[in-house]
Amino acid sequence: MKAPDVGWSPVSRPGPPDVTAAVVVAYLVRRIIGAVFLMVIVSMVTFAIFFLVPRLGGATADDLASRYVGKSAGPEQIHQMAVKLGFTKPLYEQYGDFASSVVRGADYDTGSGIEHCPAPCLGYSFITQNPVGPELLNRVPVTLSLAVGAAVIWVTFGVSTGVISALRKGSVFDRTAMSVALAGVSLPIFFTGLLSLSVLSYGLHLFPPGSSYTPITENPVQWAYDLTLPWITLAFLYAAGYARLTRSGMLETMNEDYIRTARAKGLPERTVVIKHGLRATLTPILTIFGLDLGLLLGGAVLTESTYSLNGIGKYAIDAITTNDLPKVLGVTLLAATFIVVANLAVDLLYAVVDPRVRLS
Amino acid sequence: MRHKRTAVGAAGAATLAVILAACGGSGGGTSGGSSGSSASGSSAGGSSGKAEFNAAVGKVYNASDAKGGTLRFANSGDWDSLDPADTYYAYSWDFVRLFGRSLVMFASAPGKDGAKLVPDLAESLGAPSDGGKTWTYKLRKGVKFEDGTVVTSKDVKYAVERSLDKDTFPNGPTYFNDSLDLQGYTSPYKDTSADKLALKAIDTPDDNTIVFHLKAPFSGFDYFAQLPSTIPVPRAKDTGTKYKEHVVATGPYMFETNNPGKDFSLVRNPNWDPATDPNRKALPDKITVQLNVNAEDIDNRLLAGDLDVDIAGTGVQPATQPRILADAAKKANADSALVARLWYTAVNGDVAPLDNIHCRKAVQYAADKTGYQRAYGGTTGGEIATNLMPPVISGAEQFDDYNAKASPSGDLEKAKSELQQCGQPNGFATNISYRAERPKEKAVAESLQQSLAKVGIKLTVKPYPTGDYFKLYAGKPAFAKANGLGLMVSGWGADWPDGYGFLEQIVDSRVIHAAGNTNLTVKDPAVDALIDKALGTTDTAAREKTWVDIDKKVMDDAFILPGVWAKGLLYRPPTLTNVFVTDGFQMYDYLALGVKK
Amino acid sequence: MTTPLEVPGSIEAAPEAVPDGARGPIAGRSLGRIAWMRLRRDRVAIGGAVLILVFVLIAVAAPLIVELLGHPPNEFHQDLVDPDLQIPQGRFGGVGRDFLLGLEPVNGRDLFSRVVYGSRISLLIAFMATLLSVVIGTTLGVIAGYVGGRSDTFISRTMDVFLAFPLLVFAIALAGVVPDHAFGLSGDTLRIALLVFIIGFFNWPYIGRIIRGQTLSLREREFVDAARSLGARTPYILLREVLPNLVAPILVYFTLLIPSNILFEAALSFLGVGVRPPTPTWGGMLSDATHWYQVDPWFMLVPGLAIFVTVLAFNLFGDGLRDALDPRAR
Repeated sequence: MKAPDVGWSPVSRPGPPDVTAAVVVAYLVRRIIGAVFLMVIVSMVTFAIFFLVPRLGGATADDLASRYVGKSAGPEQIHQMAVKLGFTKPLYEQYGDFASSVVRGADYDTGSGIEHCPAPCLGYSFITQNPVGPELLNRVPVTLSLAVGAAVIWVTFGVSTGVISALRKGSVFDRTAMSVALAGVSLPIFFTGLLSLSVLSYGLHLFPPGSSYTPITENPVQWAYDLTLPWITLAFLYAAGYARLTRSGMLETMNEDYIRTARAKGLPERTVVIKHGLRATLTPILTIFGLDLGLLLGGAVLTESTYSLNGIGKYAIDAITTNDLPKVLGVTLLAATFIVVANLAVDLLYAVVDPRVRLS
Repeated sequence: MRHKRTAVGAAGAATLAVILAACGGSGGGTSGGSSGSSASGSSAGGSSGKAEFNAAVGKVYNASDAKGGTLRFANSGDWDSLDPADTYYAYSWDFVRLFGRSLVMFASAPGKDGAKLVPDLAESLGAPSDGGKTWTYKLRKGVKFEDGTVVTSKDVKYAVERSLDKDTFPNGPTYFNDSLDLQGYTSPYKDTSADKLALKAIDTPDDNTIVFHLKAPFSGFDYFAQLPSTIPVPRAKDTGTKYKEHVVATGPYMFETNNPGKDFSLVRNPNWDPATDPNRKALPDKITVQLNVNAEDIDNRLLAGDLDVDIAGTGVQPATQPRILADAAKKANADSALVARLWYTAVNGDVAPLDNIHCRKAVQYAADKTGYQRAYGGTTGGEIATNLMPPVISGAEQFDDYNAKASPSGDLEKAKSELQQCGQPNGFATNISYRAERPKEKAVAESLQQSLAKVGIKLTVKPYPTGDYFKLYAGKPAFAKANGLGLMVSGWGADWPDGYGFLEQIVDSRVIHAAGNTNLTVKDPAVDALIDKALGTTDTAAREKTWVDIDKKVMDDAFILPGVWAKGLLYRPPTLTNVFVTDGFQMYDYLALGVKK
Repeated sequence: MTTPLEVPGSIEAAPEAVPDGARGPIAGRSLGRIAWMRLRRDRVAIGGAVLILVFVLIAVAAPLIVELLGHPPNEFHQDLVDPDLQIPQGRFGGVGRDFLLGLEPVNGRDLFSRVVYGSRISLLIAFMATLLSVVIGTTLGVIAGYVGGRSDTFISRTMDVFLAFPLLVFAIALAGVVPDHAFGLSGDTLRIALLVFIIGFFNWPYIGRIIRGQTLSLREREFVDAARSLGARTPYILLREVLPNLVAPILVYFTLLIPSNILFEAALSFLGVGVRPPTPTWGGMLSDATHWYQVDPWFMLVPGLAIFVTVLAFNLFGDGLRDALDPRAR
């Protein structure tokens, strides 16, 4: 049975896809199970990092708790905090509590009463006692703006540069572009970030200083203006990589037999390049793009901390430096979700773009 | 007082900068000129309109009564909590007065006058009885919450009760826990009585009277009454840990929005009646606060006029100082404020041969004080300290027992003669600890290492992790003794600028626990006795004199090697009106600020 | 930016570049020579190799170089720092005969010495971590590819899990929680070991995947079949038949992973979880420089350029090596 209603069914590809709804559903179910399994592992590892590692280093429950009490707290108060935060329980029980809060939600004692946090409850910060979920959601727009904006730039510039370079192999453009690209992949982003802030923002006053961010809903122009510098910095690094990838992929593809055949058939060069060459080149790049974007959405740690943008990445750093485990767990789970979803999206798209790939 | 907690920053150096700022040590200053007279100097209470360096120190700069506009704050970290029961930052105590009214408060006045307590919610300062064991306050009539309900003494009692619950509010100070005669009371949330007001240590005989019963006489109770924990909380609106999201206002402003970790804004409180409030001008129409902004970016925005106040009030970042000091126009918009903070090195009497007072004195004489000052940024970072209490502390006196002024790079002759008397004529070897992530403390350790070596005292430097420095290392007497930490680099800031607020936590031997101490080394029954005497003295002048005696006694014991009295370089953008540094918080008085529209 | 592996070109380019280079045992013999001839003609790659050599020499001889040309890396020179402004006196951050690359603000430490000593940390960690990833990745990749079946499923799934981890966040978390004394180590030794472990351990699946793919195709090849039918035991086949054919991809990957790991280490140090101060690291210096770049940009340029040039040198050489082993790429 064909599945014409599948939204992503290819249109321009020669020959209809051999995909049925049942196959897709089975595939999706399998992937989702895999994703859940992955989340469990990610959360377990995070948990272990924060509790198992210090325990192995000899820290007691009270030692751990002493980070979360105020100034001049006595030993009893520290112990009470250890009990309150559950540190006195065995590790597996602590993890069980966390897991159950994600699945079933959790009750939290605010002092004046019990507050229910519905599933998927990511818990309350050890330090500020704010619920983690809303805080995290609050940060998503920043990282999303940063990552998607940069992605648009780097794909546009990276891929087009790579294609032109490949087609004009050995030209001045090719050499210049590839030298710049090589420099691009060799520069740490926190250095290019500082450099551009120093020159473009404080030197020439072309762009706003760090930690400028305006929500797009408030003022789209200001939003774009504030993010221009972070976008460029982030996109430069990736564009450099993508240009190199596209170029080498394109060169390889253009040597393939079927390209020669296409040319021999007398197809216009334009058609050969775009319809045949580019498509085959873009397929592996799509995979990498999916992974990159997924990783970035989970927190552009270095860019956010260089430009002081309050996104997910900076949230993660702040959470780690304050040892605020519920926050770290929340961030890593969110980041892993992005990666898994991006992977899944790529695999599905892959099946569309590349007729040789089947969902299996 | 903690100006900042250590762990707020981003990572790496960002954290480091915050830690440094934390302790007010990033302070700025003058390249000569009247640095000494900074905050502690003239308290004429005059006003000036000319932009010049230190124009807002000791007097009001750009005095104004013009209302309106938006006052924009930014904070390089997160707020510990906006809940009055759960906050312990100087800037926070300065700021909460905008939306909350405690029984007593620091006067909104420049210089020394800002360190004086004035009644706020109460009609007058506390009336002591029973030798200072019982304190009574009468509330002003007509004060209302933002919803129009009248504030009663029960709301104040409830607020203090909930602040006792350190499980729910771990950040706040524990002064009420320690001083009130609790009789086992722990928290109104565990209180089974219907009105949740079972605490016997506080009486509310009528709606306008509140009486505190203490365990022991305490002459400075008005300082406790100025704590944000006495800002009334309506029990019906109390949501425990969530109350900080919307604190019910009694001051001229109330919460409009609040995005935890990001920003919040305050707008005028329609139920605030200026007739009940002689302390507040309430100039701006709106107040916005951004959280978690890079410290450097805050400075840049201040300089660019995109921001009005860096709320932390500890001064601009070290790297911003040159940009201000080297530019006459910018320098004219800056103030160098002396802070109630001492950078010092504790001398450990538990470690031989420092158990001998003469060996401790040898350290005092031999230490290079200019080297100490240089470690904290030279004259920009602060003044050479000759004794404990910083000059901004009410009643503090400066005295110089160890010739720090005459021979700032160390009096080697005196040091050698002390070593002779100690029986160690050729010097001795010991260790010096410091917080590993603090380059300034490292510089102190290395400077002392160099200068003490001149008289044969050989120091081995021992860095320990900053986060656990007091909990596991220097602040744990057993550890310090076992590891022979003869010298321990440290620093201390006052919770409020009086002798008790500054000295008690670092010189009273009875506050020393098994770990987590801030009093690292001072163990002298004579000092403890003097503290008791001060606590029982209700006459302010006599009490302040006693604190000076305590300072002298500790210096005489040579348990503490004073280093630097810290300073902070504050920047006031030209947009601000009615600006002045208050000695109460050693930063701009946030209650008084206005903006040019 | 998330992980240093977002240098997609350097890592992802390796697999598609290599297969042809590793084709056939007979070609494999002469491959080395052919590659060397190609490499020798590639002046850019040779330039990279020379630079790498220079950096390695500098790192090894750091104490000697500093003795001759600099000051001890942790020695303070506060007399050369403006006492009020806290920045080095003189132009370009105090560059001069005495201080070749100028001084740090505040403390006045010698930037030249610190950069020179920083190269030790950078190169040591990057090299060891790369070695760790390659060893783990190759071992597991070969097992997965050759043995197949359940081992393959298990290893492949494990690799998937690793690839889905938000790496940098994990690395920071792990580097942040380990106390200063652990596992019988302390100080710099502990931090270096920890960073090598973190960087190396989190990176192995990338090479693991490539090696697995290569092994899968090698397993089906005639010479392996022949060896098997002659009764050769699995370890023998793996060591003598399969592994030699994996040398080319491993070599290329190794060269291209080092620069990526240098960036990873710098990132961790930049974020404050690297080797502890006062030991100089490039990332840590950059992180200090973030506070000063407006008044003392020189302070930022020195470690930044050090990272850039080193990484560039490895990338140049790695690219050249790949091209030499794979004639079609250029």
